[in-house]
Amino acid sequence: MSSATQDLKLTSQSRLKLLKTLRKSPAVIIGLVIVLIWIVLAFSAPWIAPFDPLEQHIPDRLQAPNQTYLLGTDELGRDIFSRVLYGGRITIPAGLAVIIIDGILGLVIGAVAGYLGGIWDEIMMRLTELFMAFPTIILAMAVTAALGPSLMNAVLALVIVRWPDYARLTRGIIIENKTAEYVEAAKALGGKNPYVLFRTLLPNSLAPVLVYGSLDIGNAILIFAGLSFLGLGPEPASPEWGRMISIGIDFFDQWWMWLFPGLAIASLVMAFNFIGDGLRDLLDPRMRT
Amino acid sequence: MPIYQYIFRRILFAIPLLLGITVVAFLIANAVPADPINANLPQNALNNEKLVTAFREKWGLDKPPHIQYLTYLRNLLRGDMGVSIKTKNPVLEDIRQFLPATFELATYSILIGLAMGISFGVISAVWRNSWADYLVRVFALIGVSFPVFLLALVALSIFHAKLGWTAGPGRLSFLVKDPPHVTGLFTIDSLLAGQWKTFRDALSHLILPSFVLGSFVSGIIARITRSSLLEVLSSDFIRTARAKGQIEPKVILRHGLSNALIPVVTILGVLYGNLLAGAVLTESIFAWPGIGRYAFRASTSQDFPAIMGISMLIALIYVIANFIVDILYFLIDPRIRYS
Repeated sequence: MSSATQDLKLTSQSRLKLLKTLRKSPAVIIGLVIVLIWIVLAFSAPWIAPFDPLEQHIPDRLQAPNQTYLLGTDELGRDIFSRVLYGGRITIPAGLAVIIIDGILGLVIGAVAGYLGGIWDEIMMRLTELFMAFPTIILAMAVTAALGPSLMNAVLALVIVRWPDYARLTRGIIIENKTAEYVEAAKALGGKNPYVLFRTLLPNSLAPVLVYGSLDIGNAILIFAGLSFLGLGPEPASPEWGRMISIGIDFFDQWWMWLFPGLAIASLVMAFNFIGDGLRDLLDPRMRT
Repeated sequence: MPIYQYIFRRILFAIPLLLGITVVAFLIANAVPADPINANLPQNALNNEKLVTAFREKWGLDKPPHIQYLTYLRNLLRGDMGVSIKTKNPVLEDIRQFLPATFELATYSILIGLAMGISFGVISAVWRNSWADYLVRVFALIGVSFPVFLLALVALSIFHAKLGWTAGPGRLSFLVKDPPHVTGLFTIDSLLAGQWKTFRDALSHLILPSFVLGSFVSGIIARITRSSLLEVLSSDFIRTARAKGQIEPKVILRHGLSNALIPVVTILGVLYGNLLAGAVLTESIFAWPGIGRYAFRASTSQDFPAIMGISMLIALIYVIANFIVDILYFLIDPRIRYS
């Protein structure tokens, strides 16, 4: 994954082209619209949800979708529609948090390793290889199990699992740009190492990391949903999508219990992938077809 | 470079990686939780002073961290991964019992994934920008965007519950007995024993979960095949082949595809790891008695030693799969041999 993403570059020229092409790329626009809708729905859930997501209506349990309960009810008579709306308030911030923290962590670690080179670079590269020797969700599963299941720990586990990609990406860019003329110029003007690294080199590496983050957020959401499907996410009653599906397995015939939260995850991840794929096509000419 | 030399070098590379995996696992198991005793012993054993002392001594918990790690490594080399809190069996014994089912599922899945992914990729590249191409790309997008456990539930409800085309959850029907144990793979064992009925039943149970896991990886395979074949088809030697008057299918399959598949081979190891992770998320939906279902039960019941055992095992398989892929790569791509 890192080799493909290393090719991502965003010059000022292509930035202009990006804006132009964005208008011509329906996939990116569809993706953006779906993501925006989800953000609005999640944000306004307290006002538009017909019921409290935790409120139980035992007499109405396991009802198929109907006029009162638009998407049916679960085994405790909770309204699935309200729960799906509230679920966005957990998943979207969790996914964003992982990308932002990993982006910052990866930028700093990767930049320092790439800039200093030598033993520091060697240590970081070997360390990232160790993390990458585990399939992501398996490592995340082990970390969350050790920390104890909770929303915060699931996010923390994802941060621990995903940082190597960001660090390696940043390192590659820094090494490539280290010998560029503008860096030489900054050094010739008497810039000290931290200044050259954080004020000149790093700002120029930001764009590819942002693009990678937009590609990766769908992944992060899928792994997060997987963790909570395994019971390693937020507490059991919480209206988290993966958790709702996990409970739904025991109620296989009540398809609305697992289908709607599942479609919520799928639509959100697909929308992010639309955006990410579109951006990659724009920025990596080899992938353009 | 002769192949044995290459294999020897890859083994040398794999050793530090394997050691590293044990370090990461050790750090997770011992440095992260506040108290490894709480995490590893069942509730009722915590009050038992003798059990707690025995546990502390066995894993060297009263010694400094580096000694603890060496103790951990020694126990691991003896095949001791601790005792599962839920099943009360040694974790290694549990894994030995559940692994064949997962191995059988994963093998069928990767074969299905390759068959689907490569043919879709070829169709997509050859008829580029046609409706077939768009269909394949949408399929690939669904493959990478849908949570695999949702695919599993949808497939089960349509093809088993609604249409009745395939058998339901489990490895065999209720009244069918396990074939005599040889490999642990029911489709092979039943054939060896000449039990046609068992074979058909096993296959009917296998088909749905392996299609789900297969399509889970086929999206990635289709994408890579497509872009790689597009690149190869625009190269000079393809033009030469066409100029020589070779028929188009032969140009595409013989000259194009055989070269385009190299990137697919390189990611096979990663895909196998994905597949095992996918198995963890889907086996419980199909009531498939493999390590995935074992891991699901372990995580939902906070069975820490079992989770660590599974993670180590999957990381190990992941390293071995990548090792095999490296050797395959050496065999099919002559450029490595001369570099």
